[in-house]
Amino acid sequence: MILAAAMNPEAFNGAQDAIARMRRGDPDALTAMISRYQHRLYRYLLRLVREPAAADDLFQQTWLRVLEKIGRYDARRNFESWLFSVAHNLAVDGWRGNRGESLDHAGDGDESGDPPSERLRAGDPDALEQLLDFERGSMLASCMQELPAIHREVLTLRFEEDMKLEEIAEVAGIPLSTVKSRLRRALEGLREAMDARGRRGV
Amino acid sequence: MSENESHEAIAGMLALAAAGALDAQEQRRVEEHARECPACRRELEIWSGYSQNLGRLPQPAIPAQLMERTRTRLMQEHAAAADRRWDELMLGALALFAWTVGLTFWFVARVVTGGELVVMGANLVRFGTWTAGSTVLVWLTAAVAAIALGRRRRELRRAL
Repeated sequence: MILAAAMNPEAFNGAQDAIARMRRGDPDALTAMISRYQHRLYRYLLRLVREPAAADDLFQQTWLRVLEKIGRYDARRNFESWLFSVAHNLAVDGWRGNRGESLDHAGDGDESGDPPSERLRAGDPDALEQLLDFERGSMLASCMQELPAIHREVLTLRFEEDMKLEEIAEVAGIPLSTVKSRLRRALEGLREAMDARGRRGV
Repeated sequence: MSENESHEAIAGMLALAAAGALDAQEQRRVEEHARECPACRRELEIWSGYSQNLGRLPQPAIPAQLMERTRTRLMQEHAAAADRRWDELMLGALALFAWTVGLTFWFVARVVTGGELVVMGANLVRFGTWTAGSTVLVWLTAAVAAIALGRRRRELRRAL
């Protein structure tokens, strides 16, 4: 759905228009952009820092920084990559400024929202399959939490944000070759965590 | 490259192949090999399962009022920046006004006193003395006025 929206020329033009209006200081345009990206940006930040309160604060800081820097944003660049790179830099700055609390030791927190039973529609013939899917997804999400932040980041950008490797490189400020090796290590780490959980029978 | 070396090389690329992270040539190499090699084909299926499931993870719930809180914080920052700009502008305007008033009074004082007004041995209508005295006095007043006006403006904004 996200990809479809990204490929929709009307949505693209709408975003470009909102960016142009935001640069002129139109508060409605800013509201429209926050609304447009709130789910994706919050999800990315939460995957990165794991703490809902920290993700919440970073979300707000990201938009403050966007407001501050929008005049210097190069319209030829992909806005989403730019937005996520702003969020990435703020998360890294926060981590550097707070070395006692590493990103990799932040609390787990329940990020899944509603319990599975509430996510299932009553009377749905595929309810059991949905429940299994949900449990599989929950286990994968839980194993992902055990990975280092840089691996969680590359996984969420590639698979949830559906970003190209070049875009991930732009967001994280790393070379393309590093994105590839990081992605491979992240997948291998995730598989190891899943296998270990399977062996423990969790 | 021997068949075994090729197999090892391909095995190391399977995760990235399933993630769509290889270039077209590498991807083709992996797919061709997987067609002939049951072990790699099985591995590729497993990695494909990971890729698919990673795109369907449970989605986090957005905290209540996140958008409204963000918008409020942005508006507060925007207003604070506008206040700072206004204070700077006001201070500049008041300083200019103070200079104008100071110079006008100096001119009037020179005309009225005939260019000499000695108090405790100092000629107050000498340009240097007048400038130093009026600068300190009038600029201090201007700064206090600017701060008071800025504070009032902020109080009004909070009251609205």
